[in-house]
Amino acid sequence: MNLKKIWEVREFSTVVILALEILFFTWYLWPDGSRSHPFFNAPNFVLIFKYSAIYGIAAVGAAIVIISGGIDLAPGAVMALSGVVASQLFVERGWGLGTSMTTGVLVGLVSGLVTSVLVVVVKLPPFIATLGVMGITRGLAFIITEGRYFDVSSQLLGGWRPFGLPADWVAPIIMILLALVFQFLMTTFQWGRAVFSVGGNETAALFSGIAVNRIKTSVYVISGVLAAVSGVVLVLVQGQGKADLATGYELDIIASAVVGGASLAGGRGSVIGAVLGTLIFGVLRNALPQIPGATFYDRLIVGLVVIVIVVVDQLLLKKRG
Amino acid sequence: MSTATGLQFTEVRKSFGAVKALAGVSFDVREGEAHGLMGENGAGKSTLLKILAGILQPDSGSVDWRGERLQLGSPREALERGIGMVYQEMLCFENLTVTGNIFAGRELTRGGRLRHAEMRERTRVLLDELHLPISPDATAQSLSAAYRQLLQVARALAFECSILVLDEPTTALTDAETDHLFSVLEKLKARGVTLLYVSHRLPEVFRLCDRITVLRDGRFVETSERRSVTPDHIVRAMVGRELPPRAIVARSALPAGTPPALAVDGLGRRPCFLNVSLTVNPGEIVGLFGLVGSGRSELLETIFGLYRAEAGRVRVAGQPIDPGSPRAAARAGVALVPEERQRQGLLFNLTIRHNLVLPDRTIKGDLLVRTGAERREAQDLVNTWRIKAAGVEVPPDALSGGNQQKVVVAKWLATSPKILLLDEPTKGVDVGAKFEIHEIIRREASRGCGCLVASSDLPEVLALADRIIVMREGRIQGQLAGAEATEEAVMHLATHEGTAA
Repeated sequence: MNLKKIWEVREFSTVVILALEILFFTWYLWPDGSRSHPFFNAPNFVLIFKYSAIYGIAAVGAAIVIISGGIDLAPGAVMALSGVVASQLFVERGWGLGTSMTTGVLVGLVSGLVTSVLVVVVKLPPFIATLGVMGITRGLAFIITEGRYFDVSSQLLGGWRPFGLPADWVAPIIMILLALVFQFLMTTFQWGRAVFSVGGNETAALFSGIAVNRIKTSVYVISGVLAAVSGVVLVLVQGQGKADLATGYELDIIASAVVGGASLAGGRGSVIGAVLGTLIFGVLRNALPQIPGATFYDRLIVGLVVIVIVVVDQLLLKKRG
Repeated sequence: MSTATGLQFTEVRKSFGAVKALAGVSFDVREGEAHGLMGENGAGKSTLLKILAGILQPDSGSVDWRGERLQLGSPREALERGIGMVYQEMLCFENLTVTGNIFAGRELTRGGRLRHAEMRERTRVLLDELHLPISPDATAQSLSAAYRQLLQVARALAFECSILVLDEPTTALTDAETDHLFSVLEKLKARGVTLLYVSHRLPEVFRLCDRITVLRDGRFVETSERRSVTPDHIVRAMVGRELPPRAIVARSALPAGTPPALAVDGLGRRPCFLNVSLTVNPGEIVGLFGLVGSGRSELLETIFGLYRAEAGRVRVAGQPIDPGSPRAAARAGVALVPEERQRQGLLFNLTIRHNLVLPDRTIKGDLLVRTGAERREAQDLVNTWRIKAAGVEVPPDALSGGNQQKVVVAKWLATSPKILLLDEPTKGVDVGAKFEIHEIIRREASRGCGCLVASSDLPEVLALADRIIVMREGRIQGQLAGAEATEEAVMHLATHEGTAA
């Protein structure tokens, strides 16, 4: 691949931004004397990956929905419901860890199916359909917990090492695997091209013989399932299941997908880009609290970053086009 | 006539990347005349108009009006200088009323509040003046395509304009509506409005215009007085070559018992069409003629499975096809080249390669995208159908209208259909591309594909079809073949009650 091609790769600018961001914080937080660097060290990067993965897994689904020309507002609430269901089964019912988690993921499957029925059969605009599903899933999470929380961490054996890996690596590995799988599906499978087609021009896609309804169903089911995986991972990372988990995450997830190059008009975007987008925010959330006095600025800075990145991207796109 | 009047284009240049859309065009339009601008797709007409409308800025060169330099940074500035535009692709706000559309962006206000009554009244007067029987309060959505086009003319006229630019305004209009538009244009001309009229329809240009300018490949070819030239001369100037004579394809007789490529039996979908039965044999080109609103587009779309019929059935090569599924129809060998290529035919977020192979791959149900094979196949299609493109890995928005249309036709031919449905296949397409598309249709027919061509362009139907089916108000009015298919006979069926053999 020559340089020009790399420049044209959509994810390139996202990688550049991420690299610049890391360089900036490495320089800004450079420690005095011989103390170890508070930001630029391996354990901290694992931490960034771990917390980003909670957003990143769901962002894969969100990016796919956005590319298809839709929008999903439910991921935050679905994360909470799947997390609550999995942790309740595990803590109160004494189910095995694997079965509880799988059931939690199935919650996402059901919620995704409900969304797709609302969008495809009832023909509600995706914004409204997923707004409703968001309310329902969040509500169910509250009904199940009745204000309690389920303490997963005390039930997990100390030094829990799934597949012989450190527990902290689980979430990043799941995120990276899912991102690669779906990037592959989106770029080299007919299904992926159909998703881009539906998002680019739904009428023309229909006129080309694409089963538009099936494609729409698939994207909302994937988004639901991936949000549920995120929810289960969140419970494992935080160690407890409760109804107000992941409140407001849907907007961070959508922002990640957009920063990663997805166009809310549909037809444009990338799965890897969305994951890189969550890493950009993950680094911000990790590094800002280490700057004295910056704590109160982090939401503001996150907001500014979204706007700056998208504007810069549009300018670059114009220059290239 | 002094040089300080009229509209003067001087060495106007505009490039898009490596493509020179305008390579230094100079000509003048006299004040108060009707000036025809002609050229094949890709000749640079649209770019020139966009510069005049303030949508694009020239790379170099100038446009002067009454001796004054026009530097138009936006469509609004063009309007303020008295340049009104009527576009080929209908731009209208479907959710707004007729009044809302006419005043969109230029609403009359007092202290920031809309003056509804006054705008409504002015709209009513304007509609009266144009003899348009529509209510100022009707939503644009509820209007037919023809009225939406006339609404655009009304919009351009709502404010005093001294130059009115019309880009293919009659593509969606019937002859009667075209007459109507022309009487309005004649009136405007008499009032001293300068008209710049862009069309592929020679008879219209010859009817309206005083002088005709021809562009080819972004260059000025000639400006001639209408009185001193013939249509043939203009065609030669546009194409830059003699058109080859129409190829006569010898057709062998079908073996007895061959099922028709398409058999439609008692198909109905209220309120669009009722009890439609027709057959198309392999290798036959059948014209489906009807005016706007006759139900021909809806019929084709129903055959293709975009809508579910209430009654009747469709068989392809003797096999019934599942109703209501474009996928099933496409798998059975039906291909539809839709009327609106921009809205229904092309994906602008994907490259030409994707566009060209999409139906074929969707029908085959392949799992993987094989980029290498697709690229070769797309390049083959581009070469075979002579699609002028910078490559197969660019989006189709860089193509001219005719080449976009060829992409839409080619993507379906790649599926080797048994029955090819074409809805206005040469709408808004120049003479050269039109000729090529006709050749493509004939080639497909000689391959054994049945072709059903819906068109409101009567000369096209007469030239192309072996047999003509005429529709009116959702019903088949009759069929004409061979010598009995004359212009008069077809128009008679399309506009009057009655039946023919």
